[in-house]
Amino acid sequence: MKILLKVLKYILGAALAFFAVTFTVYFFNLDMKATALIEPLLQKHYDAIPRKQSL
Amino acid sequence: MATVFNPKERKGDKELGALYSDKLRVRKRREWRGIKDTAYDYSRWLYLWSIMVRVSMSKGFVKGLFRYRWMSNYLFVPHMLDKFTIGLRDEPLRITHTAMDFVVYDVAESIKNCMRGDRRIGNDVKFSENCVLCDENAMTAFMMGFPTVKATLREVPTMFSANLLNQYSTTHYLDVAQQFGLPGDVCPMPEAEVGISIDDDFPVLGKCAVQVNTTCDGSLLGNGVIAKRLEREYGIPTFQLVAPMRHKEEDVQKYAAEDIKSAIAFIEKQMGVKWDWDAYFECAKRVNQTTRDRLQWLEINSTNYPQFVGAVFSLYNDTNYMGNCGRSADFPPINEKLNKLIMRGYEKKTMMAKEYRHRCIVWGVQPQYCIDMLYWMIQCWGVVPLTDMLSMVIDREIAETDTPENREQAYYDMAWLNENMIMRNRTHGGYKVLVDELWEFCEKMNADMVMMWEHMSCKALCGMHGQFEEQARERGIKLVWVSHDLCDPRVYTRNAIRGQFSAFMRTVMREEPLDPSIEVLPDDDNAL
Amino acid sequence: MRDLKHLLYFENLLQTSNNELIRQAQSEGKICVAYVCENTPEPLMDIGNAFAIRLSAPNTGSMDIATYYMTNLLCETSRALLERAIEGGFNFADCIVAPDGCTMINRCVENMELLKTMGAGKEQYFTQFMEIPLKDDDNGVELLKLQCKNHILDPLKERYGIDTSDAAIRKAVEEHNRVCRVIRAIGDFRREERPRITGYEFHVLTLATYLCPKYLIIDKLEETLEELKTREPDDKDYRARLMIVGSEIDDSGLIKLVEESGAYVCCDRFCFGSLPGRNPIELNDVEDALTQVCRHYVRSCQCPRMMNMEKVYGRKKYVSDLAKEYRADGIIYEQVKFCDPWAYERFSGSVMLRDDYGFPVLSVDRPYNISSSVGQMRTRVQAFVESIEIKKIQGGTK
Repeated sequence: MKILLKVLKYILGAALAFFAVTFTVYFFNLDMKATALIEPLLQKHYDAIPRKQSL
Repeated sequence: MATVFNPKERKGDKELGALYSDKLRVRKRREWRGIKDTAYDYSRWLYLWSIMVRVSMSKGFVKGLFRYRWMSNYLFVPHMLDKFTIGLRDEPLRITHTAMDFVVYDVAESIKNCMRGDRRIGNDVKFSENCVLCDENAMTAFMMGFPTVKATLREVPTMFSANLLNQYSTTHYLDVAQQFGLPGDVCPMPEAEVGISIDDDFPVLGKCAVQVNTTCDGSLLGNGVIAKRLEREYGIPTFQLVAPMRHKEEDVQKYAAEDIKSAIAFIEKQMGVKWDWDAYFECAKRVNQTTRDRLQWLEINSTNYPQFVGAVFSLYNDTNYMGNCGRSADFPPINEKLNKLIMRGYEKKTMMAKEYRHRCIVWGVQPQYCIDMLYWMIQCWGVVPLTDMLSMVIDREIAETDTPENREQAYYDMAWLNENMIMRNRTHGGYKVLVDELWEFCEKMNADMVMMWEHMSCKALCGMHGQFEEQARERGIKLVWVSHDLCDPRVYTRNAIRGQFSAFMRTVMREEPLDPSIEVLPDDDNAL
Repeated sequence: MRDLKHLLYFENLLQTSNNELIRQAQSEGKICVAYVCENTPEPLMDIGNAFAIRLSAPNTGSMDIATYYMTNLLCETSRALLERAIEGGFNFADCIVAPDGCTMINRCVENMELLKTMGAGKEQYFTQFMEIPLKDDDNGVELLKLQCKNHILDPLKERYGIDTSDAAIRKAVEEHNRVCRVIRAIGDFRREERPRITGYEFHVLTLATYLCPKYLIIDKLEETLEELKTREPDDKDYRARLMIVGSEIDDSGLIKLVEESGAYVCCDRFCFGSLPGRNPIELNDVEDALTQVCRHYVRSCQCPRMMNMEKVYGRKKYVSDLAKEYRADGIIYEQVKFCDPWAYERFSGSVMLRDDYGFPVLSVDRPYNISSSVGQMRTRVQAFVESIEIKKIQGGTK
């Protein structure tokens, strides 16, 4: 029973931590803010790839 | 029209301008919609990321991300949902998410398949050999009887939906096409596709390809350029499927049906499979269900309490008819969910803003997938977009039971679907379907306003500019022109687009915004 | 060279939409069938008591009203025609047949219809829109037959009592071919080392065959052919022989401008030109004439809107073959500004003709009426001609 409670506690704790982190990311739009920083770097990378341009 | 007031106060953020910042390309934070709706929105956000993570773990995704320029735009999927849910609560929020979840899933699957079969990335030859590349502008009706063959619309993830996420996604390709000598005054959509082909940025897969002439002269002509590279460089034979221009006329239907037969024969020959009538009629039933559902949603939108509106209404219809065309069994359950939500919202008289001042039909070739315009119109000005040109599409049912007569009729039905591809069913076929029927819809849906998207390069629409003006004036319908360039925000910025609408509302309608904090938004430079 | 005897006469005919020969034909009780697209089978409108006139808007100036109706984003040809129609310049037409060829010309005629620009006082007047095939196949031939029957022959018969029988079609084809053969024979002189006709002169003659009742100019055309047989060419070398490919050229001033740069326009492959527009239609006695006429139009069609890949590749090969046959040193791909079909064809054609077929190519857009952009166009053509000359001097090594 104790083990079960402990496991439940861990699960609850993990769920709470998951919620706290993801909700913070969600609410403060951190995912899109990070993406907005990464995307220009990717564009530079694409510019550097040699392309076989042809009709 | 008499203003309809919302007796229910909106929970959470009241002034939506608080979400924006001059310094950021994206929003400062997400919208607070009250505990229940925020929790719902958060759950959908988690679901979206789960789709994105799943796709990113599929074969070839990472390699593809570093190979294809258009791939990076998909990182902005959650931002697109933020655009489409601005100010929404209750049922409309759930309707939008339910529809968009599936659209996102569908595009994600498409990316996964493209990467899997792509000769440069996944190179799954067996999979690729079972794919038919289908033109994104096709109603994929000619694939309804090939249940074992994969219809792959490679332009969808590459150009179309990438552009919804980031309107700058196509500017590089437009520049490439123009460097090769294509003028900048043609429609940028097929031009961008040509640019992608020239830039060698399309995934290369499939045993054969089918292209259509549906949308416009530009699309028809662009196809030839793309097919050249497909055929000559990659050895993928291409069939050109004809949809007659005057699709309302009886005397073109046989021509169209015969070409459907030829397309099917081409696929049978190339793929070594036989047309399956059972599968066809199964799909036909789903197409009809889609039509019935959509017409019912439009009925609701004709009342004082529209529920399923905006870019998502159009986008969902687009995905359902065009890319799917009855072929996926996944759509009917989504439609069912939507039906329930829409009915519930209607019965509860749920509104999306604190007042509805005008009932508007949105007409013309639209960029509303790319920007938040229609939701912005509701929140900023209390103008409800009841429907749009692209959603006024299939209005009759096709034969769905397997009889000898219906097998012949089926070719005509497939041809009819193809001819009536979303958008072109209005832009082609004579002025009646474009101009006259608009006024009929205004009457049916009790609209007092028309917002005309004037796409810079859409010759079919621009060619009727004066007729729209004069006829709207005669009918006393307020007509607001909003010019834009579908894929090129350098021509018309976001604020230039919204500004035209705001100027009309202030100067012609002499109204003040419902929410002045969002009249001007700081998204000119990023076009996300 | 000595001036051609009838050149001035033909030039004058091209100065107005409603020229004196149209008026003469109508005064003789004939019915004027106006049309706007090269893909409309001409002999079916030049049939019995009817004569076909392709609408054009010479000396176009302002297009303000048409621009209001169709915005400034539609091609200038469609706007020039609508403007002229609104001005009343096409009131002479007894009917108009418009294929839904390119979107812009279709919208142009739709506006003409909605604005009731034509047909005033003509009880039997009609506007017919028709579908034209987009692929070169038997299905396309069948479609064109049905469309021609429903939208040309039947309305002409019902409204104006025109004889549209097989015999009448055959007679119309015969008369059509008579004009075609003369034009082709005159055009063949352009292959000569020292041509006895200028590109400008040839364009004027060809254009007249589209803008005038054929039966009223055939004698002068035949006389001109006879005259050319003994005409002494100028003793001069041209700086470059050029072929022009693209949108319709209603303004011969463009050809003149090119030739004023020292070049010679040796071949034409544009809408309402002589190639393939003035190729005779060969009929046999086995099959009905309508089928054969329609097949001729579908098979020989070089319109960019023909979308099957054989046609897409074939158009470039056709240009290349003509360029070789007429010994062109270079090719000018031109389009009327905002013309979508030719925008794409110009772009793909100019790349393929240069890269795959090895021709120097100049790719330009232009206004409907060249007089509004003479300076720009002249500079570009001169530069092109010079570049060809330099290549010749360098023996093609650079």
